[in-house]
Amino acid sequence: MLQLAPQLLCGLAEKALAEVIAMDPAAAARLQRLAGRQLAFQLTEFDWRLVLTATSKSLLLNLHKEKVDCAIRADLTSLKQLRDPNQLTHLIKTDAVQIDGDIQVAHQFSSFFQQLQPDWQAKAALYLGDGLTHKLNRVLQQLSALITAKQQALQQMSLELAQDELQLTPHRLEIEQFSAEVSQLHARLERLQHQLKSWQE
Amino acid sequence: MSDSNQKTTHFGYKTVAEDDKVSLVANVFHSVAAKYDVMNDVMSFGIHRLWKRFTIDCSAVRPGQKVLDLAGGTGDLTALFSKRVGSSGKVVLADINASMLAVGRDKLRDQGLVDNIEYVQANAEALPFADNSFDIITIAFGLRNVTNKDAALASMFRVLKPGGRLLVLEFSKPQSELLTKAYDFYSFNLLPKMGQLVAGDAESYQYLAESIRMHPDQATLQQMMEQAGFAEVSYHNLTGGIVALHRGYKF
Repeated sequence: MLQLAPQLLCGLAEKALAEVIAMDPAAAARLQRLAGRQLAFQLTEFDWRLVLTATSKSLLLNLHKEKVDCAIRADLTSLKQLRDPNQLTHLIKTDAVQIDGDIQVAHQFSSFFQQLQPDWQAKAALYLGDGLTHKLNRVLQQLSALITAKQQALQQMSLELAQDELQLTPHRLEIEQFSAEVSQLHARLERLQHQLKSWQE
Repeated sequence: MSDSNQKTTHFGYKTVAEDDKVSLVANVFHSVAAKYDVMNDVMSFGIHRLWKRFTIDCSAVRPGQKVLDLAGGTGDLTALFSKRVGSSGKVVLADINASMLAVGRDKLRDQGLVDNIEYVQANAEALPFADNSFDIITIAFGLRNVTNKDAALASMFRVLKPGGRLLVLEFSKPQSELLTKAYDFYSFNLLPKMGQLVAGDAESYQYLAESIRMHPDQATLQQMMEQAGFAEVSYHNLTGGIVALHRGYKF
């Protein structure tokens, strides 16, 4: 059964994606421009290659390694950097990301996802009512702001710690000089031991 | 029937005249067509949907391609293909059985899939299409019901485009002894009762269990596909070999 787990996940993800796209009234027009294109994405840590096929109504998911319009292969650490378009050239040069095919297709998919703004409140209001949905939205916004603030504080703290550490860390020349002095001391000690030994005899 | 030289074939565990098998199989599917999808979910615990998704993955279908879903029945694979080939592509849902085709057509129309699907009542042994017509051909849980499988494979080979692929999704031989015993118990004791309960027809599901046992195993089907002219034939066992997906190319 585990053999078919990727297909199960793909099927569930496809349904979830369709729901999210349906919540954005402006997505249909953008999807129309993307229709008929295929983008493949593979993480080097895994054997599966996910293929996204854009249709005029939704995005479909499949798993295979055959010909598509554009295929991207990246590792987990490069994934976060991939969101920054300025990093892309550097990532390609260092082989952290491999792109095969029409890069414009990757850009089109990327901009589609970036512009996707699902109106989840409208959907949730059908089940929870306007008041409760509004409260839920506020709580989520506050939670998001709190996480962002904590993340920034953590980053700032890491930066300061790194800078403090940098000030304490000796320069390379200092380390080299210290090593040379230790070597000299070691040589003198050996000579002294040798002399002592000869006097004792 | 009394002609001793008349060719025979199997219908489940029974031996029947070749000419009679088509109508006997047709009767089975006329009987179960209305409850076919429900029974598929009940019998396979929903896993048939994953087998079909796996088939779509192995097809590597692209927008604009032309696909033949042979013995397509109620159109599960056709629906998946139709969305993927888009308006520039085409899917032909072909089935020998008019009842199954009618159920499939109604279901797909209800799903809003109308633009790129054609419906054809056709016998797999003599496909009514021009040579080199399709990029992909699939036959899911249909080949074992065909009287002359070699003729059907040859016909599929003829209508497949060079570079195209055939995918045969079919019940096969479980790979472990324990699974075989459990599967046999399920097939011959529970399946007909479930058929009676859900579809009001135990006999058709008794035939299903028997026809699965009479179908060629993985290696034999691979050999048959190679003999029909398919290249690079390989197969994947799914759910311990209860089902196998065979894939072959025409070069």
